[in-house]
Amino acid sequence: MATISSTTPTTPTPAVAAQELAESGPILSVRRLMWIRFKRNRLAIVGALFLGFMYLTAIFAGFVAPYGARETYSNFASAPPHGLNFVDAQGNFHLVPFVYGLTPSADPKTFRKIYTDDTTKLYLLHFLVHGEEYTLFFGLIKTDVHLFGVGSDAQLFLLGTDTQGRDIFSRVFYGAQVSLSVGLVGVFLSLIFGTILGIATGFFGGLFDIITQRIIEILMAFPQFPLWFALAAVIPVTWTPDQVYFAISIVLSILNWGALARQVRGMVYALRETDYVVAARYVNCSDWRIITRHLLPNTLSHIIVIATLAIPGMILGETALSFLGLGIRVPMTSWGLQLSEAQHTRVLLSQPWLLTPAIFVVLTIISFNFLGDGIRDAADPFAK
Amino acid sequence: MGKYIFQRILIFIPTLILIAFFGYLIMELPPGDYVTQYASVQNARGNKMSEQAQETMRQELGLDQPLPGRFVAWFGRFIRGDFGNSFELNAPVKDIIFDRLGATLLVSTCVFIVSWGIGIPLGVYSATHKYSKIDNILTTLAFIGLGVPDFLIALALLMLTWSMTGQLLTGLQSTQYVSAPWTLPAILDLLAHLWLPVIAVAVTGIAWVMRVMRGNLLNELGKQYVTTLRAKGVPERTVVWRHAFRNALHPLIAALGQTLAFLINGFAITSVVLNVPTLQAVYLDATIKQDIPLASTILVLIGFLVLAGTLIADILLAWLDPRIRYT
Repeated sequence: MATISSTTPTTPTPAVAAQELAESGPILSVRRLMWIRFKRNRLAIVGALFLGFMYLTAIFAGFVAPYGARETYSNFASAPPHGLNFVDAQGNFHLVPFVYGLTPSADPKTFRKIYTDDTTKLYLLHFLVHGEEYTLFFGLIKTDVHLFGVGSDAQLFLLGTDTQGRDIFSRVFYGAQVSLSVGLVGVFLSLIFGTILGIATGFFGGLFDIITQRIIEILMAFPQFPLWFALAAVIPVTWTPDQVYFAISIVLSILNWGALARQVRGMVYALRETDYVVAARYVNCSDWRIITRHLLPNTLSHIIVIATLAIPGMILGETALSFLGLGIRVPMTSWGLQLSEAQHTRVLLSQPWLLTPAIFVVLTIISFNFLGDGIRDAADPFAK
Repeated sequence: MGKYIFQRILIFIPTLILIAFFGYLIMELPPGDYVTQYASVQNARGNKMSEQAQETMRQELGLDQPLPGRFVAWFGRFIRGDFGNSFELNAPVKDIIFDRLGATLLVSTCVFIVSWGIGIPLGVYSATHKYSKIDNILTTLAFIGLGVPDFLIALALLMLTWSMTGQLLTGLQSTQYVSAPWTLPAILDLLAHLWLPVIAVAVTGIAWVMRVMRGNLLNELGKQYVTTLRAKGVPERTVVWRHAFRNALHPLIAALGQTLAFLINGFAITSVVLNVPTLQAVYLDATIKQDIPLASTILVLIGFLVLAGTLIADILLAWLDPRIRYT
């Protein structure tokens, strides 16, 4: 289309203009352009899909997990991963995977528990089996149907059991409910706080702005972890698990809102002088209208990017705090709390499978990083 | 220049006082104090502590005074270098800190050297070979490196070395060398232990430095002066290293304060896991036990350190980059 206008310097006739339009394709909205750019980033799509999968399984944790969150098999404590097989000891292939029977015994010398597969007994994997009762959607639905299981005679410890004899695989999903949501709640809190303060300080300026900036500077002078430790230690021992959960998300967001408020303030500061805001002021728009109709929509894509990139840090923070025993407390569970069993090197070395929840932590954080990066590139209107 | 530094230091002082107050206040926030904590531990052991005994202990430790008074007294002693005594370890805070300072500085310096020494060349390579196969691999690895928490890397390495060599590489030294003089075997033993915590924390550091370097250099390479240099026929090596690289380094120097924060963060958990005697490990223990003199001193020192890092970075940058006007 550039060639047409350069070779024919006359004013474009309606026919030429129509042709130009046809060649350049339909006029796309900003959102649509963002979506097209986002789709091109394959890593971001993979990240988004994985996160979608993780959040879905976390919501339906009770259904996906073969065992309950606190279902304990003390006979089978510290059992190594006991996986599914397709081929039995005689070399026969089974279309439906099965598990062998698991027999615990004690080592005669060290008295440590050892587990042996009983290859004479095969237990087929069943779908939609009845197991421990659980609730979905905060207790709205009560049922005991699990996606898969091997019945009550056999054991299906896909990732092994922890020192108390709870299935690690099942607990990963219950842990995800806390670990995946605490970051979202934390980011949500810092978004509200950071955006309001950022817009207010950027728009109105003055003494309030100066004081807020000083406070943020001081907050940002402290490295995250030491401050998180100190604040997490503030949470009283007597609080209920729900209170602790919210307290942790507040602790995580306390260092985050400052950075967000600063960036939003900077943007609002620049936007305040743009022609359309000045024009809005001349036609007597109220401050509220200017903020909500002009400033907020223009900073929104930026805010979303910052928020997405802040979530992995918070998930990491929760994992670290719970790992050290300062975060989520029993009877709640989280990935960090699961990992905290592996904190003692002796335990870790004899039961390395205790570390498997870490894989989920790492994959989730990487996915969020990919997703955030994809959104950032897509939201930049000057990207090629 | 002199005026600029003077001004920066002038702003530095009130911020320091605020940081000190803030750091002290946080430690005071938990309900109860060291004595309640101590009493509950004693109770659990079966030694019941009477209210009277608790009150006496509070008076001895000065915990019966109101908060503002305690802060002023603490801060007054703090700026004179008297950090008080740790409640828990019953030793001067200064001695405890000096005891751990060696290990802390050693591992931090090593991490700093490793992450900048490896991260910068990798970043330059990936920027100059943009979208090549190796760049794609490096970028993906950097993403993974940023996603894996250091304490998990430490645990994984610990497990790996144990299964391969049968040695448990916790701490910084084998027990027989702990109070031995620095002979050659002792130094070799230290190095054999040192690499593990350093690698665990440096993985994130390398990834971060690489990402920043790549982004900055790409940004610089797209500028017009680079096109001009290339048009003049300046060799590519000179264009990259003499011109673009130098400008791309500035944002990294500006992030020096952040790097300090990163080093402090990095060892906060790794040193607990690996049993490395760093300040962060002591600090964590002190926060849990509400050992206020120890915990707040370390927290405030950390705040000072990061602030000083930012100050040094700003001055360094003003000195290095003629485009920055210091008024």
